[in-house]
Order: sequence, then C-alpha cells, then structure tokens
Amino acid sequence: MYLAPEGHEEEITGAAAAFVADAMPIDRLHSTGSSDMAPSLRQLLGEMGWFGLAVSETAGGSGLSAVEHALFFREIGRQCGPVDVLAQCLAANLATDDRLRAEIISGERGVALLVADGDNHRLIGSADSCLAVSVTPGSTRLFSLAGTPTASRPSLDPANSLRVIEALPAKLDECKGDDSWRLGQLGAAAMLVGIAEAALDLIVDYAKIRETFGRKIGSWQAVRHPCADMAVRVEAARAQLWYAATAVKEARADAAVHLDVAKHMANTGALANTDTNIQLHGGIGVTDEHNAHLLMKHALLLSRLFGSKRMLLGRLLNARLED
Amino acid sequence: MDLQYSDADREFRAQAREWLKTNVPVNSRPAEGFAAAQFDRDWQRKLYDHGWAGVAWPKEFGGLGLSGLRQVIWYEELARAHGPHHINTTYVAMMHAGPTVIARGTGAQKAAHLPRILSGEALWCQGFSEPNAGSDLASLKTRGVVDGDHIVVTGAKMWTTDAQYADYQELLIRTDPASERHKGLTWIICDMKTSGIDIKPVRTMMQDEHVSMVFYDDVRIPIANVVGEIGGGWSTALATLSFERGLGFIGDQLELYQRVNRAIDLAGKTRLEDGRLAIEDDGIAQRLAAIKADTIAIRSMTLADIAVTDRTGIPGPNGSMMKLMVTGTHKALSEVVGEILGWSFMEFDGDRTAHPWTYDYLWSWVFSISGGTNEIQREITADRVLGLPRSR
Repeated sequence: MYLAPEGHEEEITGAAAAFVADAMPIDRLHSTGSSDMAPSLRQLLGEMGWFGLAVSETAGGSGLSAVEHALFFREIGRQCGPVDVLAQCLAANLATDDRLRAEIISGERGVALLVADGDNHRLIGSADSCLAVSVTPGSTRLFSLAGTPTASRPSLDPANSLRVIEALPAKLDECKGDDSWRLGQLGAAAMLVGIAEAALDLIVDYAKIRETFGRKIGSWQAVRHPCADMAVRVEAARAQLWYAATAVKEARADAAVHLDVAKHMANTGALANTDTNIQLHGGIGVTDEHNAHLLMKHALLLSRLFGSKRMLLGRLLNARLED
Repeated sequence: MDLQYSDADREFRAQAREWLKTNVPVNSRPAEGFAAAQFDRDWQRKLYDHGWAGVAWPKEFGGLGLSGLRQVIWYEELARAHGPHHINTTYVAMMHAGPTVIARGTGAQKAAHLPRILSGEALWCQGFSEPNAGSDLASLKTRGVVDGDHIVVTGAKMWTTDAQYADYQELLIRTDPASERHKGLTWIICDMKTSGIDIKPVRTMMQDEHVSMVFYDDVRIPIANVVGEIGGGWSTALATLSFERGLGFIGDQLELYQRVNRAIDLAGKTRLEDGRLAIEDDGIAQRLAAIKADTIAIRSMTLADIAVTDRTGIPGPNGSMMKLMVTGTHKALSEVVGEILGWSFMEFDGDRTAHPWTYDYLWSWVFSISGGTNEIQREITADRVLGLPRSR
C-alpha cells in the first residue's frame, strides 16, 4: 500500500513536466492561433511516444499503466494542454487496425474529441484532425471526419476550439466496454488536478511578493486561509486520483466508483481553486494578460467531459466500495 | 503506487475480524458519567488482556509494534463490527499522554504509566488551554514555582475533557515567571487526586458536561513528574499535538463513509413535509452523493498519509489539512440530515443515544474548534505546507 509517485513514477513525472512545459507552455495561449494541438506539436508528441504511453508494447506502445497515464496528464493540465492530446491517446488505445493505430501513435493523423449535445455533436480539437473519438461509459467509437462539414463556434476556453457537426460521420471502429471511458476519466481528472495545483502555485507565489498596507499579502489571514483551503482541495483530489489510477491498474472491482469520485473531487477542486486564485489576485486576476482566467476556462471545459457534476453524483449515490 | 495489502496485513485483518465478532460489548455504552468511563476502562482492559491494545505502540512498551496501516485496518474492522468508538475517555491517555511519555519520558515514568494506560487502569485528561489561552496557547499563565523537589502550581485550565474521570493530567505550566511565549514552559504529569485541585464542569450546548474548568491552588507536584526539561515544555507539547494530528482521528475519518451511507438509507425511508421521500429531492440526493464522494476521498487521503508516514517514520503537516477536510464533511452531513429528518431533528434533550443526528450536528462545532480551531489549522497549513509569510 503506497499512494504517492515513487521510483520510475517520479522519473516519468519529471520527464513529462519538463517536456510539457517546453512543448506547450501555458503562456502560448496569449498568442493568437494557439488553440488545440497544432500539427507540429502533435508530431513532436508522437515522436516522443507520449500517445502510446498506455498502449501495449505488442501494439506499438510503451506498455505503461493507468498510473503513468495519470501522471502525464496531470502535467498537461498544469500547462492547460489541449483536450486533443487526451483524444489522441484514447484513439491510440482503441484502434484495432495496425496501420491506423500506428498513424495515431505517431501523430500523423490527428484526433478530435466528439461529444453529444442534444441532436448535434460538438468537436473539440484541431481543425486539421481527420479523426474523431467519442467515448461513453458503455462504448467507444472512432470516426473519420473526411468530407464532414463542420461549423465553427466561438470558444470561451482559449486552449481548445469548438465546432459543431449536425450528422455523425462514418464510423471506422467501435469498442464495447469502459476501458476508454476509464482512461478518459482518469486523464481529465488528472488534468483538473494539475490545474488546481497550478492555481494554488500562482497565488502562493504572488502572495509572497505582493504587498498591501505595508505587508506581504500572504501574511494576511484573509489571504492565507483561502490558500489553505485550496491546499486541502488539492490534497483530497490528488490522493483520490492516485487511488483511482492504482485501482484501474490493479483492475479492482470498485475502480469505477473511485474514478467517479476522483473526477468529482477534481471538478470541484479545480473550479474552486481557479475561482479563488482570481479573487485573491485582485484586479490583475481579471486581466487577459494574466494566466488566472486560462486555468479557470480550461477547468470549466474539462469539468464537462468524462463525468459532469450531475452525472457523477447520480452514479455515486448508491455506489459501493470493496474492502 | 500500489493498493496491495501484504499477507501479514491480511492475516492481521482476518484475526481482528474474528476476535471482534465475539468480543464487541453487547451492551451499548452509557452516554456519559462514571458509568461511561467504567465502560471505556473495561473495554480497554479487554483489549489489553487479549493483546489488541496499542496496535501502533512500540513492542518494548507493551504495544503490538505494528505499522500505521495495521492501525487503519484495526479501526476499519472495529467500525465494521460496530465496536466501541476509540474517541472515548481513554483517548487522551492512548493518543496523547502515552505517545508523549514514550517519546520524551524517563525510564521511571514509562514504567509507572505506560502499562496502566494500555490496560485502561489509568485515564488521562489534558491541561493545555486556559480561559485566556486557547488558540494562542503560548500565552498561558498557570504558574509553577519550584519548591525543593516539588513544583507548586497555581492557576486555571479550561476545556479539560473528562477531567472528572481522569486519574492523571498532562499539564502545561509556566515555570519561569520572567519568560514569554514558548519559553519557560514545563510539561508535567499531574495526579488528579492531589489536594488543591477543583473541577468545575462546563455545560455545553449539547447539554452535557464532558468539559471542565480545572482550578489549581498551591498544588504540589513532584519534579520527578516533569516530562522533558523544566522550561522545555513547548517542545514536549508540540510532540503531544503531532501525535494527535497524525493518527488521532483515523477512526473518525474511516467511519464517516459508513455514516453517510446510513444517512442515504435514512433518506430512502423518511418522508419530507410534502410527502415525498427525502431521497427523491434532487437537492438532498446531490448533497448526500457529494458528501459520500468526500468521505471516499478522505479515506484515500488517510491511506496516502499513513503509507508515507510508515516509510518516513515522521507524521507530516498533512494532519491539519485532514482535520479541515473531515470537520467540513462532518458538518455538511449533519446539516443535510437535519433537512431529511424535518421536525424530529428539533427534538433533543441531551440524550445522544436517542437523538444521535442532532447531537452530531451540535458536536460539529466542538469538532471544528477543539484540538486546534479550523482557523489555527489553516494557519499551520499556510506556514508549514505553503511557506507563506508569517501572520504573527
């Protein structure tokens, strides 16, 4: 029983943190045309093998587990990385055709995330994606977007664009079961934990230098105490993320319950922490040039994917844990 | 990371479950008074006689010398068997005084006190807070004057839980009158039968008298009872508090999950004023589910903390964050149950057995104030976890 990164898990965390901070630093989002996973970034991630992290070695991946998957996406979250990175990973795990899978793992073909919205469908991801993956707790489908007309919508979140398609495109592959849903939940929860941590880091750093009434604001209890509450939310969401990731890795019977809890704690932790981060920054916190709003907007997007509040709480009310 | 229990962990769980099955007291614990204290002593004695006392205490001092994880397993099994709650009149002895004497006591103090604590023969109470020194503990004024081989104590302590039943007290006093704040304090073992001690129970809003004010009028305590150095009491007191913030509330943390499930069952059979079952109300159902998620995360936090502490041997500062999380969840649960129960929640005469949910609602404030208020826990978190500039 051990619930914190150790050994090679720490190495992966360090490598992922350094790579992601360099390849998709959050500051990129202050430049126009920076949304989604651009083809060059996709190619870079492909060359480094990140999309095949949790794909078995015989299928051309690295053969690592749900735990490393979560560690990687936590770092993606800290930099407000685009959701396409997760879609690409899920498609790599799903595709049964060897050639198609190889093209996804290498980043040659881009994958967007497709989510149902009433009678329409929404696409989240790069406009040059030629594939889309749609994931529910019961099945995962891979679609070809070739020739599918899409309508662009303005996106609140600078990290990802939003498009709408009216009819479902041609299905390339389908897989029953919840394997992709689990990796999707874990990836989204991990990104949200990364965002909750990044928000806490931002305000703690600022509270150590900014002064009001002749004192560092971090010495005022009006600032210290909400920061302590942010730390509690991070601690709870992170411990639950580690538990859920390990439960998936070890195929425990109650892994799905722990995933729902992990996503819920990550949703509430990231939304509350990005909110408090803006408030405690004061005026600078509402400016476009600051990163505070980027974290909040990406948290809003991710909180709607792979388990929204209403869905998760509905499932959890009567859920049971194993010993 | 892994969630695997070792074979020895599983064996321990099986043995605990088997023993508890036939040994948990049949009679329920009296709500308060000397009968409750006697019930706690008897249960502790039974644990001692059967080799279950002090799971995480070192072997050389009579414990089982097992890991924090085994302690978690024990509490899980105790809760499953509906056994006596570990936060009772033996709590200060087992969770504060014992560990402090083990860490800082002399050989004679260990020999005199540890076996009697483990066997339930000696109950302890705490004497840290004062009428004018609560959150600001270091401002305490109760005076101790060295007189030959004794220290003569004069002053008053406040919020002393179970003082009426205790045999000993962990007493923190100022032995250097010229000293300020954390300097010049002394941690001393006070025999509660010493002459000059007067206990005045303080009635709480739960209508019970579990806390008291304790007055000291020239109380003579042997210098041999000092734990640590004369003047080094703050360091000993910090050790005491770190034990509480480490393993102290594990039982409560794990039990919350079962309590929320009981509340969900209750909502499934209790009708609201409008005739609907409480669980059919979306607001109530969502809040219960969110609290349930919190309790599951609390369990994960507990296991994560314990595993790290077992490896490093040092309880980290996470205990303060844990207490914030647990007290908040406890309060949220009490509040939603208040809505589920409607008017019957308003019936209360102080009997916690007859009105457990109302009692728990009232107790939620005791929980978030005692053992360091939530505001102090936030200060500790801001200082030690986040490294923010000091506020004081």
